[in-house]
Amino acid sequence: MATETKKDTRTAQQAPTVTLTIDGQEVTVPKGTTVLEAALGMGIHVPTFCWHPKLKSVGACRMCYVEIEKMPKLAVSCATEAMDGMVVHTDSDLVKRGRKAVIEFILANHPLDCPTCDKGGECDLQDLTFKHGFDDSRYDFLKMRFTEGAVHTTFDDVRIGPEIILNRNRCILCYKCVRANKEAFGEYDLGAFERGNITEINAAPGREVSNPFSGNLVEICPVGALTNTDWRYKIRVWLTKQARSICPFTSSGTNTLLWKEDHQQKIFRCTSRRNDDIDDGWIADVTRYGWSYVMAEDRLQTPLVKKEGKQVPVSWEEAIDLVARRLTEIDDTKGNVCIGGLINPQLDNESLHAFNKFMRVTIGANNVDHRLDYPMLPAQGDTAYSILSSQPFSIADIDTSDVIVSFGSDMLKEHPNEYLRMRKAYMFRQAKVFTINPYAVKNADIASVDVVYAPGTDEIVVNAICLAAIEEKLVDAGRAAGLKDKIVPNSAAEAAETAGVELDDIKIIARSLADGKQVTFLVGELVARCAEREPIAAAIANLNRLFGLTDKGQVARLARYANSKGAEKLGLTPFPAPEVKAKLERIFGGWPENEALTTDKMLVQMNKEAINAGLVVGANPLLLYPDREFARECLERLDFLVVCDSFETETTAIADVVLPLASWAEYAGDYVNLEGRTQHAEAAIKPRFHSRPALEIIEQLARAMDKPLFESADERRREVAEVLAAQAVLPWPNDYFEVSFDNAAADSEYTIPVFVGDDPHHAGHLTEKSPSLSNFVSEAYVEMSIELAAKLDVKAGDSVRVESEAGKVIVPVKVSDYLDTDAVFLPRNFSSAQVNSLLMRKKRVNRVKITRVAD
Amino acid sequence: MKEIFKALGNVVIKMPQGFYVTFKHLFKKPVTLDYPRKKKPMAPRYRGKHYLERYDDGTERCVCCGLCAAACPADAIYMEPEETEKGERKARVYEINLLRCIFCGFCEEACPEEAIFLGQEYEFSADDRNKFIWTKEDMLVPHPRKDNPFKKILRRVRKVYGTPEATR
Ligand code: SF4
Ligand code: SF4
Ligand code: SF4
Ligand code: FES
Repeated sequence: MATETKKDTRTAQQAPTVTLTIDGQEVTVPKGTTVLEAALGMGIHVPTFCWHPKLKSVGACRMCYVEIEKMPKLAVSCATEAMDGMVVHTDSDLVKRGRKAVIEFILANHPLDCPTCDKGGECDLQDLTFKHGFDDSRYDFLKMRFTEGAVHTTFDDVRIGPEIILNRNRCILCYKCVRANKEAFGEYDLGAFERGNITEINAAPGREVSNPFSGNLVEICPVGALTNTDWRYKIRVWLTKQARSICPFTSSGTNTLLWKEDHQQKIFRCTSRRNDDIDDGWIADVTRYGWSYVMAEDRLQTPLVKKEGKQVPVSWEEAIDLVARRLTEIDDTKGNVCIGGLINPQLDNESLHAFNKFMRVTIGANNVDHRLDYPMLPAQGDTAYSILSSQPFSIADIDTSDVIVSFGSDMLKEHPNEYLRMRKAYMFRQAKVFTINPYAVKNADIASVDVVYAPGTDEIVVNAICLAAIEEKLVDAGRAAGLKDKIVPNSAAEAAETAGVELDDIKIIARSLADGKQVTFLVGELVARCAEREPIAAAIANLNRLFGLTDKGQVARLARYANSKGAEKLGLTPFPAPEVKAKLERIFGGWPENEALTTDKMLVQMNKEAINAGLVVGANPLLLYPDREFARECLERLDFLVVCDSFETETTAIADVVLPLASWAEYAGDYVNLEGRTQHAEAAIKPRFHSRPALEIIEQLARAMDKPLFESADERRREVAEVLAAQAVLPWPNDYFEVSFDNAAADSEYTIPVFVGDDPHHAGHLTEKSPSLSNFVSEAYVEMSIELAAKLDVKAGDSVRVESEAGKVIVPVKVSDYLDTDAVFLPRNFSSAQVNSLLMRKKRVNRVKITRVAD
Repeated sequence: MKEIFKALGNVVIKMPQGFYVTFKHLFKKPVTLDYPRKKKPMAPRYRGKHYLERYDDGTERCVCCGLCAAACPADAIYMEPEETEKGERKARVYEINLLRCIFCGFCEEACPEEAIFLGQEYEFSADDRNKFIWTKEDMLVPHPRKDNPFKKILRRVRKVYGTPEATR
């Protein structure tokens, strides 16, 4: 909030203002404000249907009538700009009569469905009719009824998407859904058809409304015309309570409400809780529907212990005792370095800190990491990549930026919330957007220039931009001094050729970066997951230094998971930032001496049988680590593996002890979003079955080993707060980095570059357990361009064999409308297809060959 | 002597007088009821045990809107909705806790679908508290109704001329 107000006052000071009188009170607002917004800002209630704070006004419903003196008729306040000297009445008799008439008009064709309508109890039309409408109906004719395409004859419902059900009879044609879809999400799968009395909202012909933000349409519909299967006929809204929660699937920490019922101990839905600093009130479908994994019936119910090769249910006491005993045994016989700990960065701060303390104090090993799906992590803490990752970032600043670059990031799939911010900046402020990626991504449609470079030449593209700026003299020569000698190749033209991009595009980007007043440069997962991320990060650091980007904006690698930033700030890496480490050292009363190991190194040590016991909390490395074979081999070699998870996964299958983990909705916790903002999520229900929160499990383990972690909950909270307060931002170096490059030749047989990431409707390994999200996508696919599909002679839906040196999977083809190079994309979220078995951790670009499966 | 005559007079006159009252009542209609063999007819608007109505084709009228539960001052009604194959809304679970119910009839008044009524029945003692939780099965009127042909004719007549009040 604070930043928003600051910005508002800034614009207010610069922009001209107007003064008007509303209901006898004088108010000064910036020019361009509508009368409605001015009134709402004063706390005056003006009823609306079609107005939405984050969309452009259309004046479709006429509910917001006000009387303005000297105007002949009632004015539509949401589409009337405030002018100097206006005298506005929002509550005069004329206005009241106008409102009554509007309500009567809307109700003329509105069915009396309230008893069966799911919106009942939270419906704007119900509320406003109650407040402003007539008690009686004067309408004697038959109501307009849409029956075409209806599956069900009673209510004329049409299913227009995997989750959305449309009832056109109830629609009041406010167009909010269509506008949001277009203006905020850039999707065109929903539209308004016909005109006059028979105007209807419907899915675009031949399409279904399945975009990754479609759930928002249901939420903003003021009536029950759009409902979702999630909430349909489940419970009445007034019987539910809300828990203020945080999205556990994306890193922005979008604010949500979990609607629950206490007696049944059930969650019923998840909606947004608008926070303009973070989410603008839009949440991605993965956030909206992902919660339902919590209510899944196949969750792990009791601890399992492997006895004679089979996992059998045991009591918590037995399981905890066994783990404590075995860990102590291994600690005594082999030494504490022989225990490795991996934790999922989706867990809350206190669990993470407790785990850190457990590993580094109780056990005394330095092997702690939360980065489970990044191969080949750097072996020190002060590399270019670490510096880049630690940079501060603000979501709201994307709004005000005039140049936005997303580099190596498939924003829609990784950071849906920031993706929407980019669209907003483009839509409402005409910001220049650039996308630079190894394969074409969805947000390319708003990009002034969309650069698709040859996979594996990331740093060369960045270097090309720097070189172009120097050659075109866009930057201060003094500033550029010394850069040219440190990077390869020597000229922008050569670099552009190596990367396979147009030199002109590069020049345009360089010019915009140099001219931009506020620049946001976002670096995504395609860089973070790259086995050779160091040179790329170094090249970006150079670019930052050359253009002085941090002085006039922000350069940041976006953290991927709900609490990745928190894990980083709490020191759950082998090499925490110096200040964090100092704080932790004080709290822990020392620091383990042995060499700190990253996830990779830990796996290697496991393979060498130098690590004999593993603790995996909430994660599924077998599904997500980008080299399945390697990860399996290593984990199987362990003498003792403990896995905590909410479901049986491939990783729990090879574990000696499996502990059922409670989900984020079942306990209260704090999460740090990618901006470094700590937010609290309340518990919605009690842990289901016999699952327990990670914090409880870790504390119990420590107690069973006779070394309790904390004296009290207060102490624990104090420690977490103390560590979080430490400065985790690493300074940029004072010189340019050397960036060398050797172009790896493509393998002969395997030619198609493959990218593995999250499906837009999924995140991590838990969302496939959500029935609603499975309605959108429930199995892996290989996404390819139309050209490649033609070349391989396959159609959408055909099964193909995707084969790499490491492994192969058989998946159906999905033909994409935005991919335009030969690269293919596979989602990693589904345990049915072992997509990560295609990858090899040391390879910078994994390549595959695709053949059709004869049927 | 005087006392003897007084006593004699009592026996001869007063006692038969008393017996006459008793004797007279032998031929009068009793004020008590021969319960449980005979039952008192309740007033037409008596509020007894609830029942859930059906449409003529047998579908339940109740759509599980929850308004009765919202209106209920005793919080006696619990329900869970579900979707039928036809896409309609109906109750999967509908329970009234008769131990809580105060028979105020607000539920009947709140119902927009004319689905719930308080009937004439007042006999619902049981030997287990749980038996006082009436489920949907207990309350739904049977379909087709098992009653005598005269009532059927009566219902036809009512259908044509309208129902004066709801009776079971
Ligand atoms: S479906 Fe809902 S949001 Fe869309 S136009 Fe109709 S009433 Fe408005
Ligand atoms: S009669 Fe009154 S107390 Fe009984 S269920 Fe109906 S509303 Fe509740
Ligand atoms: S009985 Fe009537 S008021 Fe109660 S849920 Fe059913 S339809 Fe609604
Ligand atoms: S809110 Fe102003 S016309 Fe709809």
